[in-house]
This record gives sequence, C-alpha cells and structure tokens, in this order.
Amino acid sequence: MDKSYAVLPCNGLDKCAGSVTREIALRLLKKTDSKIICPVFFRVSDSRYGKLAQEKPLLVLDGCATRCASKLAAEKGLKIDERINVSDMAKEENIALGLDLTLNAEAQTLVERTVAGLLSSSETVAVDQEGAAHAFFPACLSYETFQKDKFIFRLPVDEGFYFNENDVWAYVSGTHARIGVTDFVQKSLSDIMFFTPTAVGAEIEQFDDLGTVESGKAVFEIISPVSGIVTSINEKLIDAPEMLNQNPYEQGWIAEIELSDFAEDRNLLHTFSGYLPIMKRKVTEFHV
Amino acid sequence: MSETTFMGVTRDRIDWSPRIDYDKCNDCMECDEFCPHDVFEVREDQSPKLIVKNPENCVVFCRACAKTCGPDAITFPNKNETTAYIKQIRKGEAAGG
Repeated sequence: MDKSYAVLPCNGLDKCAGSVTREIALRLLKKTDSKIICPVFFRVSDSRYGKLAQEKPLLVLDGCATRCASKLAAEKGLKIDERINVSDMAKEENIALGLDLTLNAEAQTLVERTVAGLLSSSETVAVDQEGAAHAFFPACLSYETFQKDKFIFRLPVDEGFYFNENDVWAYVSGTHARIGVTDFVQKSLSDIMFFTPTAVGAEIEQFDDLGTVESGKAVFEIISPVSGIVTSINEKLIDAPEMLNQNPYEQGWIAEIELSDFAEDRNLLHTFSGYLPIMKRKVTEFHV
Repeated sequence: MSETTFMGVTRDRIDWSPRIDYDKCNDCMECDEFCPHDVFEVREDQSPKLIVKNPENCVVFCRACAKTCGPDAITFPNKNETTAYIKQIRKGEAAGG
C-alpha cells in the first residue's frame, strides 16, 4: 500500500506558493489514499478532522514563511509528522514562483517533484502513539567532518538544524525544537561530568540559559537558540553525561522546546553553512 | 584570540560584560577563577582588587560568572535590549546604513 497522509495545506490564495500547496494536496489525494484537511473549515470545526489526524500521519504544507498551516496544526494540538515549505522547496529547486496566482509550468514542475519526493521516501511515518515528544527528530543524521590535530569534529548538514554563536544547536520541526551543544563544546570541555538541566515547563526566551554542562576544565552555560516552553529534558544525561561526548547531536541532546516565535528567533541564528566556518575558526583558535 | 564579531556585529559594538557591585563584592575571586576567557583581572594591593579588564572577551549572553558569585555582586546588561540592539545594527547594515 502506498504511503498516505492526512494533508493539511495552507491553501493560501494570495500567493502562488499557497496555490502550490493546494495542488500538491490534490495530487496526493489522486495518487494515494490520503485525505485532505481543509484549513478554512478546520478553523471553525474540530470534530470533522480530529479523528483523521489520529489515523494518518499528518503532512503539513506551508506556502511561505508565515507558516499558517503549521500554526493551525499547533493551535489544534496536532503532531506534525512531515512538513514542507513550498517557498523553501522552490529555492532548493531553483524555481522562481512568480507573482501570478495561477500556476505556471515551473510551479507545476515543483508540484510534481514534491509529490514524487513524498511518495518515494522509503521511510514509513508512524502515527503518533506516545504524544508529540521526540517523534519529530530524524532517525539518522548526515555529518560534515573536519579534523584538527587528532580530533575530528562533526556538524550535521541536515535541513532543520540552526545554530547560535554560543555553539548550541536547535533542530526545528513544525512547532517543536530539540536543543543540544555542538562538537566544539564537548571537545573543548573534554570529559563532561555533570549536566544540570533547566526545569520542564520553564518559559525560555532566546539566549536564556537551559542549564549547564560541566567538565573538570570548565562550566558551559547552554544558551538557548530559541524561545518557548521546555517540554522535556534528556534525563539520561543526568546519570550518563558522557553521552554528550559520545554524540552531542543524537543521544546527547539536551532539551526539547515548544517554540513561541521561531520566525523571530531565526534572525539571530545560522544554518549549517553559516555556522561551519565559525566552528572551524573557534577550533583553530582553541588551545587545549 | 577572542571573537571579534557576534552575528556579524563587531564585538566592540555590543555592550555585554559583567558589572561588579563593589558594595557587595567580597574579593573572593571565584568569578576570575571560573571564567576561562580572561575577562577579569586581579590586582594585588590595589583597590578595587578585581576589575573587568577585557569586557570584549566576555561571551555574549553568557552569565555563568554571576551564578558563581556568592554575594551576588555581578550583574549583566538587559538581554532583551542587547538582542534588540544587535538586530537593529544588523538591519541597519543590511539596508546599507
């Protein structure tokens, strides 16, 4: 059986990208057993779609950075299993979406490619069974590596990772983010012995601290890249802080946050390509 | 060598460093021992004994030394104002100002 989704498009009518979300949704409906969640009707009625979103993995299609569909899903308390931002996709595919609100040939190409991409991805998305926590993080990451002396540093290249210049990452998906420190932090601290977390439920502003990690050498304050409410912390780190040294991007994650204003936070964050040279410079300047 | 920029803004334009309340400071020097960035300087036989020697070495948004301070003598500038200021500079420069 083909993969199928509960598809929530933004269906924005005043931008071409919004029309593209509609077209992708319709195409998925035709090709698979997917069902559409109409954002206009969903806003006024929960009952119609509540069950559907439980039965099938939720695919949210945002047209632009305003992310109306993601926000609607968050308002309704739905967990987003997969999310596509058409404007980002267009940039990646080097497709210019014009001002014309009807779909031109290029926009049609984008629709086709997006649908093909969704249907070809081999991973089967599990329907949420244990609540929103943890489910949004990718099962495996791809890394760029570089070496200084005998030390190898890694940085995840996966889309969705953001970094502040305090060497803390956030993996953002929909309305949630997972937070951790970069390889520069764990390597410069060397053997981490203590992790002191912040409290679950704490309201955090961007650049507030999320606790500390400490080695025999120094204490590092974990400066949050994003604002929001702490929904969970990695309790395993309290007993096994060495997991931070083993891999600070996967099992060594620090906390998860329900985002309050990522569009704003993003202004002071880097993506992979922005942060990589910064981390390299810090590594070069760091004297063990 | 310390950082020279933070989010593209030169470090000397960002006013972020510890402020010492000398009425509270008891010269324990915990902060200086703690900070790995050479922000403080301890001057034996001088008053005040502890000063902020290299404010630009201070990691923007780090307030860890204030937490180590028993008498609570260290404060930092307002984080939100600093964030807003950094954004403002970035915006100005993006606009060519």
